[in-house]
Amino acid sequence: MSDTMKGFISDLTKAFSTGVSYMMPTVVVGGICLALSLAGGDATAGKGMVVTNPFLQNLGIIGSAGFSMMIPVLSGYIAYSLAGKPGITPGMITGFIANTPIGENHVQTGFLGAMLMGILCGFLARWVKKWKVGDTVKTIMPILIIPIVTTVIISMVYIYILVGPIGIAMSWLITILSGMQGGSALVLGLILGAMAAFDMGGPVNKTATAFTLALMAEGIYGPNGAYRIAVAVPPLGIALSTFISRRKWGADDRRMGSSAAFMGLIGITEGAIPFAVKSLKTVVPSIMIGSAVGAGLGMIHGVECMVPHGGLIVIAAVNKAPLWYAVDMAVGVIVTAICLHLLRPNIEKEQ
Amino acid sequence: MKIVGVTACITGVAHTYMAQEAIEQECKRRGYEVKVETQGGMGIDNELSEEEITEADVVIMAVAIGIEGEERFEEKDDAGKILTLNPAEVIRNPAAVIDKAVSLVK
Repeated sequence: MSDTMKGFISDLTKAFSTGVSYMMPTVVVGGICLALSLAGGDATAGKGMVVTNPFLQNLGIIGSAGFSMMIPVLSGYIAYSLAGKPGITPGMITGFIANTPIGENHVQTGFLGAMLMGILCGFLARWVKKWKVGDTVKTIMPILIIPIVTTVIISMVYIYILVGPIGIAMSWLITILSGMQGGSALVLGLILGAMAAFDMGGPVNKTATAFTLALMAEGIYGPNGAYRIAVAVPPLGIALSTFISRRKWGADDRRMGSSAAFMGLIGITEGAIPFAVKSLKTVVPSIMIGSAVGAGLGMIHGVECMVPHGGLIVIAAVNKAPLWYAVDMAVGVIVTAICLHLLRPNIEKEQ
Repeated sequence: MKIVGVTACITGVAHTYMAQEAIEQECKRRGYEVKVETQGGMGIDNELSEEEITEADVVIMAVAIGIEGEERFEEKDDAGKILTLNPAEVIRNPAAVIDKAVSLVK
């Protein structure tokens, strides 16, 4: 491997770590507040968890705010690591755009899109910083030129070049899924589960959500049941892995394990994101396999869930085979933990 | 010998401070002058001033993330007096790390 390539990869690793480092408290605040709020709600058919207590509703507002901040913070500090201070603004704004539904297909790319935005902004801002300019322009470089040039260029690239194809791919996926409805239930479950875990809130996950919601409107609740099992598996599986495979995780990750477990029970897949960003190639395959297994089993057992929300807290709204709902979820979680154990290298002892 | 350093890990709660302690203890044992800035979860502590950086013979960057005020170290970087590595390495084997840092001075 050439030196430039090595430098590029170490820049990227450092950038993702920086992003996660700043995002972590946001995930915790958002996750805990949202979870406490949802835990006090009632599972209502067709509507998800409905929170009626005003105090809990307000706690939910805080939680949602934390969750909407988490994606921009991630991309902002990825860009910051690459370009320094001038990277923050472009990174945050483009990350916000990545997490905003855009266009006819409501394309929203979530944390994967934000990671890409952060990298692009970081490298562009770093390059603009090197422009040789006169002294008068130099003073306005960091507050005007770099942020505007970087933000506008990267946002436009995203909106005009990336959103279109992603949107087309999303509607294509929905057509494929609809074609499979009525075909093999197991295969449909496996695919929905893998999709739920693949990008945790990104376009693939959202496509699966849209598909199950569309079926619910037609009174078909099976795929939703399977999907809602899958949603809880990633954070729960990772949490279990941090508890039992202690040599596979650093001290920092192990401390985050219990909050991931909490978010998993409450159906918040995003609890897995900080772990995934740090090691996409070990975490993403493991959670995809675990979620696919959970959802596949759910389809076989005919689990039906009446609400568009996941995790163990909606078990009261699982009108068919609620016991299987819990068991299939547990199996998915265990499979995830086993995959993580096999895929992740041992961490050398520290002190 | 005068050594300064910056430590920063991903979460900023444990490794940042363990690495700081490892560098300080090893330097004190050898009778070197030392100051280590930490950029952990609480922000910057024990901040290095421009003079302290200029006077130092070598800088140890035990950082896993992008740090604040990186431009303070540009001169040292141009002079090749910066040793950059992961905080975990410092904690694991401080003696080897200090040896390596000292070898940059000569």
